[in-house]
Amino acid sequence: MLLLSNVKGKNAWIFTGLFILTIFSLVSAITFGAAEINSVDVLQCVLSDCATPMHDMVVWQVRIPRVLVGLVAGMGLACAGAILQNVTRNPLADPYLFGIISGAGLGATIATLVVTDEQMLVLPMAAFLGALFSVTIVFGIATLLRNMNHLLLTGVAVSFMLSSISHFILYLGDPFATNRVIFWLMGSLTSVEMFHFYLIATMILVTLVTIFALHRQIDALLLGDESAASLGVNVDKLRIILLALCAAVTATIVAYCGGIGFVGLMVPHIVRQLLGVTTMPLIIGSALVGGCFLVWVDVLARSILANVEIPIGIITSAIGSIFFLAIMYRTRKTG
Amino acid sequence: MNNLLTLDAVSWAVENQTILSNISFDVAQGDILGIIGPNGAGKTSLLKCLLNQTKNWQGSIKLKNKSISHYKPHELAQTFALVVQKSPPIFELKVYDVVRMGLLPYKTLFARDTDIDKKEIILALKKVGLATSKNKLFNTLSGGEQQRVLIAKALVQKAKILVLDEPTNHLDIFYQHQILQLVKALKITVVMTIHDLNLAAQYCTRIVLLNKGTLVSDSTVDEALNPTTLSKVFGLPCFRDNVQQYPNSKVATVPRVHFYPNNTNIPISVGKN
Repeated sequence: MLLLSNVKGKNAWIFTGLFILTIFSLVSAITFGAAEINSVDVLQCVLSDCATPMHDMVVWQVRIPRVLVGLVAGMGLACAGAILQNVTRNPLADPYLFGIISGAGLGATIATLVVTDEQMLVLPMAAFLGALFSVTIVFGIATLLRNMNHLLLTGVAVSFMLSSISHFILYLGDPFATNRVIFWLMGSLTSVEMFHFYLIATMILVTLVTIFALHRQIDALLLGDESAASLGVNVDKLRIILLALCAAVTATIVAYCGGIGFVGLMVPHIVRQLLGVTTMPLIIGSALVGGCFLVWVDVLARSILANVEIPIGIITSAIGSIFFLAIMYRTRKTG
Repeated sequence: MNNLLTLDAVSWAVENQTILSNISFDVAQGDILGIIGPNGAGKTSLLKCLLNQTKNWQGSIKLKNKSISHYKPHELAQTFALVVQKSPPIFELKVYDVVRMGLLPYKTLFARDTDIDKKEIILALKKVGLATSKNKLFNTLSGGEQQRVLIAKALVQKAKILVLDEPTNHLDIFYQHQILQLVKALKITVVMTIHDLNLAAQYCTRIVLLNKGTLVSDSTVDEALNPTTLSKVFGLPCFRDNVQQYPNSKVATVPRVHFYPNNTNIPISVGKN
């Protein structure tokens, strides 16, 4: 909160509110789950000792890692979305529209062909590499076209290409492999561990520090590349650094949580209405709102249907696609 | 020699197509230099070279006797401020946010806005008469107000040279004069491209005339508005008269040119000249 100490007035209240909301979401989300443990027992478990070893296991091994990973995954996706939208000046930019899901899916698919056991180590790694691979291709093609406005369309095209390769391999291959790969395509927080939280949290820390360093330069991009260059910004270099950062954050999240789409698209739009468009408040606000959002979507995923978990990506995509259309409708009205 | 800026044999070609060829002129401290010429004459390209925003141009551009390629980007940004708005920003930037961008060349990576910075932003907005609009959305302002916001940004940038690309485009006559009077009142060196020759005559101290990437003339306003030359460059018959600018003004008369198509239809299938 130190970095926000010069924020005054309305924004200070909003940040405080979001901060409290985040803490509240974390605590209350831990009380939801398949095992019947009442809230008092959960709180007792967190604050002192658990009543039973079973409670200890459920709370510390299952729920807390899951809620924490949900939080940082939401933060990371929302931040990446906000950065991409400001950097490309495209309000519809989202890390997933850059072909990251299909890249991760392809990576995981190929990995299932090569190795069958030890998949918990190999598959995330392969998904990570696949995601980076697709981003590199998308960015490479957009650079060749010399038009950053085409970044998104290139991403969509590359997505289809990589998906079709994945589908082809899966169609010919082992039906069991399909089950394993489908996880990356739908997104889920079922198999997360504390290790994933530390990893993703570190990536977010790196992202935030980078944004604190470069926020003025990113702001300058909002008036156009020419204007930014006249203020001394090396536009191409800045863009490459930030795209690489977003790709790395998203790829890490995809590798462990699978494809959770549209969080990066939606959250910055909500935050802009609250906190304005400049980079610093937008990114910090997006991190907080995105974290809360994903924590609650995961609670929904766990509790809407009895005995069945819905993959989290299905819910975010369902909400997101409606949101996407709503944004376009709104831009049509105002623009 | 009091030259702030010296251009010597500046040329620029892209894929064998000449955009600028052998352009040399000086800009002195306090000049209001107007760059005029037909579409495609290379006016905007010349500004790009000046701001070192393009590569592969040849020749030399010196700022205070030092080549601009030897300046760091932020040093150039502390000297040149670009005032141009081609497309509206996508996101809803506030006026204050736009003016705040002018701080960038003076800030290290993690630096935050100080109270002095904030006062400076407000002061700059006062100078362009928009202090009360600081929380308005930039997109909702009129074209003239947007230009003034960008000038306020240039003031925060503490630029020595204001670079304007067609500042009067899309503005009605009132705002055209308002913006140019404001620019003149700032009393800093100005380099601007401008389409309206008579506005150039009224506000510039010197005029550079370009045609097809070459320099036709670099002269005072009086010499620049030569009907014979202008008629050749713009491909239309040109006439000149002098008009009284203001009663009691130091500049008694301002040259004015008029173009008449001579009652003949200009064929649309061929270009000028």
